[in-house]
Amino acid sequence: MATAPEALAPEAAQDVHETVGHAEAEGHGGGGLPQLQFEHWAGQIVWLLLIFAIVYFALAKLFVPKMRGAIDARGSKIAEDLANARALRDEAEAQAKAAAAEMAEARGRAQRTAADAKARAAAESAKRQAAEEAVLNERLEQAETRIRAARDKAMKNVRTIAGDTAAAITEKLTGEAPTREDVDAALGQAAA
Amino acid sequence: MADPMHQFQIQTVVPGPTVDVLGVPVNLSITNSTLATMIAAVLVLGVFGAASMRAKVVPGRLQVVGEGLFGLIDNLAESIIGHDGRKYFPFVFSLFLLILGMNMVGMFLGFTATSQLAVTGTLGLLTILVVIGVGFARNGLGFFKLFVPSGVPIAMLPLIVPIEFLSFLIRPVTLALRLFGNMLGGHVVLKIFAGFIISLGAFGLVGWAGAALALSSVVALTALEFMVAFLQAFVFAVLACVYLNDVVNLHSH
Repeated sequence: MATAPEALAPEAAQDVHETVGHAEAEGHGGGGLPQLQFEHWAGQIVWLLLIFAIVYFALAKLFVPKMRGAIDARGSKIAEDLANARALRDEAEAQAKAAAAEMAEARGRAQRTAADAKARAAAESAKRQAAEEAVLNERLEQAETRIRAARDKAMKNVRTIAGDTAAAITEKLTGEAPTREDVDAALGQAAA
Repeated sequence: MADPMHQFQIQTVVPGPTVDVLGVPVNLSITNSTLATMIAAVLVLGVFGAASMRAKVVPGRLQVVGEGLFGLIDNLAESIIGHDGRKYFPFVFSLFLLILGMNMVGMFLGFTATSQLAVTGTLGLLTILVVIGVGFARNGLGFFKLFVPSGVPIAMLPLIVPIEFLSFLIRPVTLALRLFGNMLGGHVVLKIFAGFIISLGAFGLVGWAGAALALSSVVALTALEFMVAFLQAFVFAVLACVYLNDVVNLHSH
């Protein structure tokens, strides 16, 4: 590679002469770098400035604002969509909450209705039971009354028999029939 | 072996007149360098124009590419310069796209405009002139505070100010030389290794092994060069932002 610069100089010079058409061979500095052939600089610089100016103005006036607009539009669109989604989610949550409240209320109402029905059924059955009991009690009472009457009647019969018997015995012993009043008084004394 | 420097030789494609600009003769012939720059500009404007002029909310492929580059430099300008970055974004973006275009044209078409010192020097000088212009426009004569860092003891100023001034002057030079050197070096190395393939191939079996090695080096270097082509355009844009920030936010300097 060390020989490259020496080999280059004449060749490079020739190129310059052919292509650019300069007659003089100065400005090569005897070195190897074609970049240091200063006769080519002015043209490159002027063209580069021109091209850079075109690129700059096309970008600054046209493309950059356009692209920034597109990026900003996307940003705001995304923000807007996010806000919309958030609002929808909140609304849905509120609706879910309302539905849950309604559900709880309905359940409470149902429970209340069930409790009412149960209470009403219990009251009715208690009433019916009471009525039944009353009927039974009445019948029991009637039966007891009948029994008592029967017993009283039987006891009265016993008293009559005892009087008759006592009168008969007294008549047999004394030969004289006691009066009804005496027998009753004696029976009353004996019963007391 | 083919001369690795020949690829940088300026050649006229379309002859043009020579005109005098301020007493300097300017040959307006379209050379291979100018042509490569034009192709790069047309590509850049074509791709970016198509991407932006039919911009939709849901982007197509081209628009995604365009917006990717746009976002890259936009975020860069915004993060380095701050809110005012938007004002200078088109300039930085033009620099980035044109340099990227020229580097990429160099990877495909054989002539790299950014390996011409005239081109990179112009871009470096243009950048620093814009920085100076913006500096004076925003700060007036306060622009010179750029060379007087705040918080430095007065006694140190005679030493610091010349250093700051020199470092400012050297900025366009480093801008130009960094891009120029990277593109020049990369393409020379590619050419040399490519030349090895031919020369070694003539030495029989052992030579073939060497040629295969050289070939794989060329493949690897080509990939590297694509990265460098992008990276150097990006670095240029970053530095342009940093230099602009120096004069835009001078008070906080």
